[in-house]
Amino acid sequence: MGTIELVEIAGVVLAALLGLLAGGVWIGLSLLVCGWIAMLFVPGIPVGAVLATNSWSNGASWSLAALPLFVWMGEILFRTKLSEEMFRGLSPWLGWLPGRLMHVNVLGCGLFGSISGSSAATTAMIAKIALPELKKRGYDEMVSLGSLAGAGTLGILIPPSITMVVYAVAANVSIIQIFLAGFLPSLIVMALYCGYIAVWSLLNPDKTPPAPAKMSFKEKLRESANLIPVALLIILVFATLLLGWATATECAAWGVLGSLAIAAWSGSLTVRSFWESVMGATRLTCMIMLILTGAGFMSIAMGYTGIPNALATWVESFNLSPYALIAVLTVMYIVLGAALDGLSMIVLTTVVVLPMIQQAGFDLIWFGIFLILIVEMAEVSPPVGFNLFVLQTMSGRDSLTVAKASLPFFFLLMATVAIITVFPDIVMVLPRMAFPG
Amino acid sequence: MSSADPRHSIFPDWLRKSLDGLYLVSGWLAGLFLISIFLIMLALSAGRPLGIDVPAGDDFASWAMAATAFLGLAHTFRSGEMIRVGLLIEGLEGRKRWIMEMIALAIGTVTAVYFAWYGIDMTMTSFRFNDLSQGVIAVPLWIPQLGFSGGLAILAVAFVDEFLHVLFGGAPRYEKPPPATAEEVVERAIQSGA
Repeated sequence: MGTIELVEIAGVVLAALLGLLAGGVWIGLSLLVCGWIAMLFVPGIPVGAVLATNSWSNGASWSLAALPLFVWMGEILFRTKLSEEMFRGLSPWLGWLPGRLMHVNVLGCGLFGSISGSSAATTAMIAKIALPELKKRGYDEMVSLGSLAGAGTLGILIPPSITMVVYAVAANVSIIQIFLAGFLPSLIVMALYCGYIAVWSLLNPDKTPPAPAKMSFKEKLRESANLIPVALLIILVFATLLLGWATATECAAWGVLGSLAIAAWSGSLTVRSFWESVMGATRLTCMIMLILTGAGFMSIAMGYTGIPNALATWVESFNLSPYALIAVLTVMYIVLGAALDGLSMIVLTTVVVLPMIQQAGFDLIWFGIFLILIVEMAEVSPPVGFNLFVLQTMSGRDSLTVAKASLPFFFLLMATVAIITVFPDIVMVLPRMAFPG
Repeated sequence: MSSADPRHSIFPDWLRKSLDGLYLVSGWLAGLFLISIFLIMLALSAGRPLGIDVPAGDDFASWAMAATAFLGLAHTFRSGEMIRVGLLIEGLEGRKRWIMEMIALAIGTVTAVYFAWYGIDMTMTSFRFNDLSQGVIAVPLWIPQLGFSGGLAILAVAFVDEFLHVLFGGAPRYEKPPPATAEEVVERAIQSGA
């Protein structure tokens, strides 16, 4: 096909996509329609049959089965008292740091992020206990709100992560590799957050309440016993994964089992709550799967037209430096993030962006972590930042206040993007170690 | 989930009830398949060191995944959890809103029916040629494909149902009312998968 024809097809598909999305057509179905339109330009393909076989083979997938299980795990844990225990277990150890209990927000979200795959759930879980506690003790509300919004996004950067599973499926990379790649960047994010809180507290000493009464070491240890259930669950999920006892999907099943045990032990497991968690997870899975099905079909269709490759070659002809390309993509994604949620943003763009990225010499695992960080930024920025919605509701503040409180943390995430762009090894060292060659 | 507004209900009561029942029961089935993924995974993982083999366990887990994903679609749609970009459409009211909803529903209905048609066609082809799975246990493929094509067919029915319902003046049932309590806002954010 000629270049002009390709530009025409691309224009038609893009216009259709924008029109459908803006017109309120369900995202998964919009993608199916766009795939169908793209197929019209390719003669001799039985479109309906391709759609059916492709959707079936994408859906009946072994690695995708991790998705509903991680979603379910989150649904179960959200109904437990885990966050309260985490707050009590962590707080005795943080009193000496400048910023004191505000670091509980960061560490608590980090811990909860390693058993939860969702940002909104992580934010809500930690905010439920930390917001009232910090307020009661007189901590600055802006910094506690901002750090909660920012740290809540660790839910999708620290494995397990629903967003990572979706990316891994869309980009056809290993789920375990991308999980491993998330560890070090999440440590950087946590260090930046804690550093910011500490510096802010040193600059504003009058806004940090005095340290609470000192506990003896023994008392501290006793309080920390509250962390045992979380620790056991993390060990259960990661030990099975890292020691190679279980695949990513199987480790999700162990996570569900552990979460059910915690729920049963804390007395929050009833037949009703069990079934509610199952159905909640089912609906979320179906919602994501329809989008993935649409994206899968659209990427096949686009592949037939040859647009993604042509686009990649075209972008290459500009001879952008890798940094410039990443900068352009960052801006594009921040704009997209204003209208779309993270999952749709990922599946929509992987079709055209991935060939471009590979052409420019980036690793797809690295790009996955880049995308996750971008989605995190979208979640703490208006107008569709889900973490902002959660905190706005829980704190009773208006959206502007919460967005303003989150702004420093938005920039810290952007700094992390810059750091991993300049030092890509931070992302790649763990996956390379686990999968040499 | 709101039930049909009786003033606008174009279907007789028995049909309304059976349709709503169909969406709900297929959703429950999807939930049961989700639990079965969990059980198969545990059996596979725990069975390995114990030397117990689950024959074709990976096949069964994959099929259960497809059944979960597709059988629950209609229920998800009617629960208002199938996402779309509401930025523009939510700003409209009255007649304009109704026209936009009808366009979205018409496109959605045609797409869902088209998808279901070819899903059923694929399953019938598997049946006619007696396609077997390649795993340890050779299962006729049309059996697991029933969850896929059945789920798509039920989604198509739900779309046609909704199209007619809104066409004759009913309020859309795929749209959740704005959250009333703080808990609801938080719960919805989590249900969005963010």
